Amino acid sequence: MQRRHRTLPELKAHESAQTISFTDHALACKLTAMGVLPGATIEMIRKAPFGDAFYVKVDGVRLALRTDEAKQILLTV
Amino acid sequence: MSNDAQQLRPLKVGLIGNPNSGKSTVFNQLTGLRQKTGNFPGVTVEIKVGSFTLPKGQKVSLIDFPGAYSLYPTSSDEKVLAEVLSNPGDANFPDMLVYIADVTNLEKHLLLFSQILDLQIPAILVLNMMDVAAEEGIRVQTQTLAAKLGVAVVAVSGRTGENIAQLKAQMEQLAGTTPLATKPFYTLTENECSVAEAVKMNFGTENGYRALLIAHHKDWLPFLSVPERAMLTTIQDTKQFQSLRAQVEETMTRFDRFVPIVKSAVQQPSAFPLTFTDRLDGVLTHRFFGPLIFFGIMALVFMCIFYGYEITGGWVEGAMGWLIEQAEALTTPLNMAWLTDFITKGILEGLKGVLVFIPQIALLSLLIALLEESGYLTRVVFMFDRMMQRFGMNGRSIVALIGGGACAVPAIKGTRTITNWKERIITIMVTPFISCSARIPVYMVLIPIALPNAGWWIWAQVFGGMYVLGVVVALLSGWVLKKILRSTEQSFLTLHMPVYRVPHWKNVWLTVVDKVKSFVSGVWKPIIIITSVLWLLSSFGPGDIASKARASAEEEIALGHVPDSLRGDLEASYKLEYSWAGKIGKFIEPAIRPLGYDWKIGIGILSSFLAREVFNSTMYIIYSLESVGKIEEGAAGDQKPFERYSSLKDRMLNDTFRDTHQKIYTPATGLSLLVFYALAMQCMSTLVVVKQETGKWRWAIIQFVFMGAIAYLFAWLTFLAVNAF
Ligand SMILES: Nc1nc2c(ncn2[C@@H]2O[C@H](COP(=O)(O)OP(=O)(O)OP(=O)(O)O)[C@@H](O)[C@H]2O)c(=O)[nH]1
Repeated sequence: MQRRHRTLPELKAHESAQTISFTDHALACKLTAMGVLPGATIEMIRKAPFGDAFYVKVDGVRLALRTDEAKQILLTV
Repeated sequence: MSNDAQQLRPLKVGLIGNPNSGKSTVFNQLTGLRQKTGNFPGVTVEIKVGSFTLPKGQKVSLIDFPGAYSLYPTSSDEKVLAEVLSNPGDANFPDMLVYIADVTNLEKHLLLFSQILDLQIPAILVLNMMDVAAEEGIRVQTQTLAAKLGVAVVAVSGRTGENIAQLKAQMEQLAGTTPLATKPFYTLTENECSVAEAVKMNFGTENGYRALLIAHHKDWLPFLSVPERAMLTTIQDTKQFQSLRAQVEETMTRFDRFVPIVKSAVQQPSAFPLTFTDRLDGVLTHRFFGPLIFFGIMALVFMCIFYGYEITGGWVEGAMGWLIEQAEALTTPLNMAWLTDFITKGILEGLKGVLVFIPQIALLSLLIALLEESGYLTRVVFMFDRMMQRFGMNGRSIVALIGGGACAVPAIKGTRTITNWKERIITIMVTPFISCSARIPVYMVLIPIALPNAGWWIWAQVFGGMYVLGVVVALLSGWVLKKILRSTEQSFLTLHMPVYRVPHWKNVWLTVVDKVKSFVSGVWKPIIIITSVLWLLSSFGPGDIASKARASAEEEIALGHVPDSLRGDLEASYKLEYSWAGKIGKFIEPAIRPLGYDWKIGIGILSSFLAREVFNSTMYIIYSLESVGKIEEGAAGDQKPFERYSSLKDRMLNDTFRDTHQKIYTPATGLSLLVFYALAMQCMSTLVVVKQETGKWRWAIIQFVFMGAIAYLFAWLTFLAVNAF
């Protein structure tokens, strides 16, 4: 069966995708308040030096996310 | 309200906006130096209140709320705003709100604004960063925005001060009017409506959206009683209200409504070009270079503080010397020796303890403000978050730990940037383990005593080892505290990293002034009290200790062991021995004997509470070297730091226990004492600041006991290990 979505940590550096939804309500609350809405384009910039965090760009806004948080973001394939 | 009454009662204006919208900058523009910092009642969240006067004379008291993205908070900082705005009875409930939005990113900055519109509090929308907008070619039709949102809109630049006067005029105009009942920006869904109606009926809330907020936040709003909470739970259950889901839906609906409005009023150049910030981040957050550059910067900060201490410490020393002379000259004619003594050795000594920290606090807060203002600190959080998480802390804690290498006092004040309560408490608790500059003189005395036959090369290694010990114990304690402390607050990283900006001098300057002011005002009272108590303990004792000391000195001189010229030093030594401090030293001797210490070290530890370096001057007095000590201690800048205190070292190395006649200062005792000084909480200024920052003495006491226990344990193990070896 073909997968219909992937999560943020699967993106390679400088790869972009559209957000579909968030699997955690509390995080969804925080992200939507910061303007990361379903349908936004999200670009992976780089991983943190010691791992476990990601530097991403959403509509020109720069964000840092933990891996746990990034896994809750579903993206288009 | 009559005109007079208006003049008397200041207009309460709340300043709100998203983080990094430039809120503090606008606050500084409006109020300048007329601001003060305090805490919101009950929470450790900082509140800044400033005052200014509107053109026609109305006084304004401006409350700077912590930056927030929404009225659905995810940190204790953000909660403050939701708490105050959902309770019109709150002491900080504003008459009017001034909302700061970053015009270069307006689409993301209006969520909270649309929420306060629905609370029907009079508000002004301030579009900030107009100077940047002009540079980037962003054009804004403020009238279009004003018309579509139904509020006054002012475009300003917090940096240049452009249109700040117009903002004041607008506030004046709005203050005179009563808000019109407008159509809500967000229409509640059927389900939300029924919940809000039920809340309105039971709580007498008039505004529908406020009623909804109370329902959403029923679990933590502090003004709700237990039965009220239960009732709200029943309401939610019967209406099958799913709070989190409703919050997300509401947020998305709001965005759907205001994004088109922003698009119609703001013309933005289409693409997001690769900017200066992106290129800089390519290096500053790079896998290898990022951490390397960070440690480079921190090494620089550390060196600035370290040399700053050497230089400014000399100034303070000089100034205090002069003050002491003046005080002596003034009080000696009164013929009350105790008064002279109290002023010079009690009060002024305590004052010195406060003064030496001021240059350090100013310098460290200056450097940190520069890093913060430029936007660099958020990158540090991003880079080190993972590492510090393991030890119960947060990426920002690393700044505190490194600052602690200079002085824990400003470092602990800097932890306000950590928003998670538990991570902040842990950071505050472990920062004093890092060896600060006040421990250096003590290490300089004790290392050669512990290892008298080793060369300076070994001494230097042991010296470095003391820093490693501090870091290791700090991280381990963090790990332990992480397991012990409970926190319901979910910890997020999700962090917005702003574009890099050249720091604004006014913000930096006001931060430094604010930090110094709040330190001094919080700390001087307890310090004077503790200093006076310590003075009393070491100046008085059972009976007439002065004449007893004189007699003992006389006896010893008569025996011919000591030349008459040292009579003063000998008397001072006996006086300290016979004082309450000496009694306490002897009383606690059994407790510290397992570590290899005698009662004299007990007195030293007791007096170190003033500041650790006082250990040295106390030892000089006890070993009848008061006058020598003044010379040796004053010889700062000596080429051979480990040999600065040579006569004290010789005297201490020859000392024996009175009962067993064994040498006190074996390598085991020396190393154990070093470990004790590295790990024990012996600094009253730090304790006072911990109280100030956490709002409770409880944490200061826990820290004192916790660090003391660890220090005792490690010192004891060191003593046993070295003896067995
Ligand atoms: N160019 C320009 N920079 C500004 C302006 N207003 C603020 N800044 C800068 O934007 C950055 C953030 O400003 P702050 O005032 O600290 O923002 P804040 O909203 O208080 O941020 P938090 O303290 O995180 O809530 C700082 O570097 C300011 O110097 C402005 O009008 N123009």
